[in-house]
Amino acid sequence: MLPDMIEANSLTKRYGGRTAVRDVSFRCEPGTVTGFLGPNGAGKSTTLKMLCGMAAPTSGQATVLGTPFAKLANPGRHVGVLIDASAQHSGRRGGEVLATSAQLMGVDHKRVGEMLELVGLDSSAARKRVGKYSLGMRQRLGIAHALLGDPEVLIFDEPANGLDPEGMRWMRALLRDFADRGGTVLLSSHLLGEVQAIADRLIVIARGEIVAQGTPGELTGSGARTIVRTADGAPSDRALRRALAAEEILVRESPDGGLLTEADPEVVGRAALRGGVALTELRPAGDGASLEQLFFQLTTDKTEYHAELPELQETAR
Amino acid sequence: MSSSASLRSIGGSVRQTSKNQRPGVGRLITVELRKMVNTRSGFWVPIAVAALTALVSIIAASNHGGNDGTFAHVLHAASVPGAYLLPVMGVLLICSEYSQRTTLTTYTLVPNRWRVLGAKLGASLIVSTIATVAALLCTVVAASAFGHAPGGTGSLPLTIILQAWLFLAGGMVMGMAFGAAILVSAPAIVGYLLLPVVWNGLASNIGWLATPARWLDSDSTLGPLTTQNLSGIQWAHAAATFALWIGVPLVVGLTRIGRGDLD
Repeated sequence: MLPDMIEANSLTKRYGGRTAVRDVSFRCEPGTVTGFLGPNGAGKSTTLKMLCGMAAPTSGQATVLGTPFAKLANPGRHVGVLIDASAQHSGRRGGEVLATSAQLMGVDHKRVGEMLELVGLDSSAARKRVGKYSLGMRQRLGIAHALLGDPEVLIFDEPANGLDPEGMRWMRALLRDFADRGGTVLLSSHLLGEVQAIADRLIVIARGEIVAQGTPGELTGSGARTIVRTADGAPSDRALRRALAAEEILVRESPDGGLLTEADPEVVGRAALRGGVALTELRPAGDGASLEQLFFQLTTDKTEYHAELPELQETAR
Repeated sequence: MSSSASLRSIGGSVRQTSKNQRPGVGRLITVELRKMVNTRSGFWVPIAVAALTALVSIIAASNHGGNDGTFAHVLHAASVPGAYLLPVMGVLLICSEYSQRTTLTTYTLVPNRWRVLGAKLGASLIVSTIATVAALLCTVVAASAFGHAPGGTGSLPLTIILQAWLFLAGGMVMGMAFGAAILVSAPAIVGYLLLPVVWNGLASNIGWLATPARWLDSDSTLGPLTTQNLSGIQWAHAAATFALWIGVPLVVGLTRIGRGDLD
């Protein structure tokens, strides 16, 4: 098994009475890009800050390269962090920002120029003060800064903000390439489209809790042919499972509460009819649109889902 | 630590020596000194201090009659610009990181926040040493230019020079402590300037505060540092003043900085 380059273990963060992040656990392996998805305010930044030692978890642990971030001797040489590209002194020149950090990390000054070139900031941009930078330029400077120490792990919070479509494509290629060379990437976004193309794994967070994680295929049920949903929850689900089992059709649960099967929709429909189960949804699984739909469902229906939960448990008993 | 380093590097040159080596205190202090002067405002403040010190030295030397206290008199004047501006630099040393949010970078590269503060303290002491040397140079040059000789043996004793250094260093560290306690530049600077004044006002109006005021009023306890050899009781007064005006804000600041989450 590959080592965990990033590991979050039951991370919880409470501010006063409000729980910003609840029981978040995941791991990232080398050679992979993990997309950390969720709407604004879902707890993505708070989670990433806990990983990087910027915020102390109320409970739970986070490790990077097997160690709490704060215990890394020279963290900049192992983990490239970009939490907020705007968090730079407006009166400092771009090149000087990198040169100062290079000195601190003990990286050859030559690398400053190389990283500026890599992210497409020319020498006139390097001489400009960061206050004069556009958001896109700051984002590029932040990416250059993260790569400066030649790290094995990248942790980026919303790196696509402010980048134009061409810049976004460039960044995706850079991150994919970084992972393909054995690096580990964790990047957050509130837009599925930004990470879907390059992510090996997706973690979906809503209202501070992880609501789904897995490969894009697992999340949309690829391999499965059909998504089916029953009318009234657990009892019908069990009835449907019995009906499908009678036909030797294997089922598993989809992350959003429906069932996934490898049989065609027609076969599933007939089995449901024989079992006397009313269906609310029966459709082929695994197209691109369904990931989008799943993301939307997972991140918007959370309250209703919670409201229904006690009732569900009652009927289940 | 994982073994999967050096799998890929984007770009060519990386010196590998310090990959797992903690940046040393010397390097941290150098970086803090660099950050102090590599911003637009940071660049001009020390130049302003140097220019004002030179100007004030010339004025003091030209106005002073030729008695043998000239050098000490000019040094006293030459330390005034630093006495006002070094504490401001001390405040900014902490607060600019918080207001510009470069703490996100600083504490990511050096997660141990005490080490960062220690480096800032070291940088403050170096800057105030440079300021003292500059004030001394201005004094000697200006006083000599106006035809004053170093006079009698007591004209510029080493004690006064060391006391001047303590005066400037103490002021800068006090500014740093106020910056750490308040974390926002403008209120920290105002607080630094105002609190001793408020304290004086209270002390002169409330009878029982008169005795503690004598120990803790920075104007009267620290002022003599650049003018006379301190007596035993004066040293005690100066020490008490530093202990209060550095100690209290610093403890508050260390607590806030140590446990605070970053925005």
